[in-house]
Amino acid sequence: MIDKLLKGFLNAYTLTVLINLLCLFSLTAEAKRPEFHLALKNHLFYPAKITIPRNKKVKLVILNHDHSVEEFDSFDLNREKVLFPKQEAIIFIGPLPEGEYQFFGEYHPNSARGKVIVVDTQIPKKELDDETALKEGEQHVN
Amino acid sequence: MKAIQLMNQSCWFNFISAILLFSFSAMVHADGVVVDKVYHPYVLPNEREVEWRLFSLQDSEDNKFAQRFAYGQSLTDSLMLELYLVGERDANDNFKLSSYEIEARWMLTEQGEYWADWGLLFEIEKEHRQKNWEITSGVLIEKEFGRTSLTLNGFIIYEWGNTIISEFETEFRLQYRYRYLEQFQPAIELYSGENYLGIGPAFMGIQRFNGQKQLKWEAGFITGVDSRSKGHILRMAIEYEF
Repeated sequence: MIDKLLKGFLNAYTLTVLINLLCLFSLTAEAKRPEFHLALKNHLFYPAKITIPRNKKVKLVILNHDHSVEEFDSFDLNREKVLFPKQEAIIFIGPLPEGEYQFFGEYHPNSARGKVIVVDTQIPKKELDDETALKEGEQHVN
Repeated sequence: MKAIQLMNQSCWFNFISAILLFSFSAMVHADGVVVDKVYHPYVLPNEREVEWRLFSLQDSEDNKFAQRFAYGQSLTDSLMLELYLVGERDANDNFKLSSYEIEARWMLTEQGEYWADWGLLFEIEKEHRQKNWEITSGVLIEKEFGRTSLTLNGFIIYEWGNTIISEFETEFRLQYRYRYLEQFQPAIELYSGENYLGIGPAFMGIQRFNGQKQLKWEAGFITGVDSRSKGHILRMAIEYEF
């Protein structure tokens, strides 16, 4: 019995090593990506609209300032991510064609809403500073 | 830039190699049915779920029917554990518990971070009232192409016991899904392994409720496509996450 289990786990271990080697190729192929920052405050995303370049993979860094957990959800972007209170979460999106992609917070779907706007430019709209971001965040996309 | 292009080529090479490896090796052994579910390599923290799966095979000689009931819970940000009770209809048309299993799904990479998303699956199954065991390890890969997603599962299985021959088996599953609407996502699925090769349409969807609560469903109708793979298989799954 023990030797059979060991044999089974050995097969699992071999497979894991193989996959890690395969992954290594995938991981090393990645270049540094443009970063965009979002904040969640009082169940609202700031800014509520972000503009990213077409056909480029980008990194969204979301800081949840609230005391409660939220879940970033977007069928358009094909992403789900739990946003723990007072913590940063990272979501990779793209490459995407031009268009608008809605996202929302599963726990507060009426207030925590936003959209990613993908535009045809190599230079994405400059990230907003905190103050401007807060103002823009107030214009929700409900 | 050239280095990145070369790396991307190597990713494609790995991807295609994985498909070929599992497709060919899947033609070696034969004593079961491989149509079940195509696993995605993702795990969400704080996730709990109950699941019901149905499998029905009909051909001129055989009529198999099985159901699975499962409870799953994520233990960490990247590890999900699921417990299954499997019931099957026996030769006397009685439906009863046939086996139980424990399954661990491990998300290796963040969704969208790399060229493809990777996960692993490990499973131990024991037949009820028989000292027959099966241990499975598998690779789960998903790659997005615009609004479509290609998911590949490759499994290596070792089984042994009192009433079965000890052997290694391999299985390969593929799903190509179009994310049309949340509630309706058509797909094509392919299953290969244990001398079986089947392909057919599948449909899946999701309905969200408050918070993390959501209902997922899947249905597929798989047809054997070579001389050794007879009959039609209906598979269904309903999953409630909370």
